[in-house]
Amino acid sequence: MSVVLEQGLAGRLLDSEPMTIQPNKASEDKIRDFEQQAIPLMPQLYGAALRWTRNPSDAEDLVQEAMAKAFVAWSQYQQGTNLKAWLYRIMTNTHINSYNKKAKDPSKGGLDDLEDWQLGDAKSLTATTSRSAELEALDNLPSEVIRKSLLEIPEEFRMVVYYAVVDGLPYAEIAEIMGTPVGTVMSRLHRGKKLLRVLLAEYAREQGYLSSETKTEKS
Amino acid sequence: MAEFDCEETKSLVHEYLHNELGLEHQEGITTHLALCDSCEEEYDLEVNLNKAITRSCDEDPPQQLAERVLDFIRKSESN
Repeated sequence: MSVVLEQGLAGRLLDSEPMTIQPNKASEDKIRDFEQQAIPLMPQLYGAALRWTRNPSDAEDLVQEAMAKAFVAWSQYQQGTNLKAWLYRIMTNTHINSYNKKAKDPSKGGLDDLEDWQLGDAKSLTATTSRSAELEALDNLPSEVIRKSLLEIPEEFRMVVYYAVVDGLPYAEIAEIMGTPVGTVMSRLHRGKKLLRVLLAEYAREQGYLSSETKTEKS
Repeated sequence: MAEFDCEETKSLVHEYLHNELGLEHQEGITTHLALCDSCEEEYDLEVNLNKAITRSCDEDPPQQLAERVLDFIRKSESN
């Protein structure tokens, strides 16, 4: 804090009423507000960050960087509006920017334009399994398997699935966070869930949670 | 009330489960589900998948992360 006092002096003399000797009051208020409002949302940010980065240490870095940016931009946050969405949006941008600085993955981009058959057709792959068997297998699959399968689907789909299912965010809010139209959110959710079902059905079949000869059912 | 066939009902599963349909559509689908085992099973599956996803994504951040973030912004404020 001693550093704060020394360096804040010049600024105080320039821009605040000369009579009030409250060292860095504005700055302390800002930190306190941020601590009270934004910090409690950090577990949720971390949950989403894990889905973006796919590993705990990068997730921590992403949360820290996003929170630092949010703090700098704190004066732009309008009190009373949706703070979680605001923080998520900053984190999305942070992730995308740092991702773009790193090597670009040529397989990425234009995913939304792909046809269903290019993504793998969930219907044909799961059609050999009855839905009741699939249902039962789902209940028995370890959380670890589901978590890993979610990390295997493309990022844009994964995040929409996460925001809609785990966070329970409305489509309109997800659209705002991801910077896409609502229709894109809808199609990413459908495709993401479909891909996830394919992965889980494959895993379940391989691991014997599902027999491949269970009765066929038309969907 | 809107009426839906199986194909329409199945295509709206996520919108229904996430409360993104208007009341009229929501009621129409609920009625269809009450009468159609195949669609109901499909909906149950998606509900279960949602539960499975939710239970798998329950990691807490490391305890020191909040403190680290606050230290970081305090330092940045003092610079």
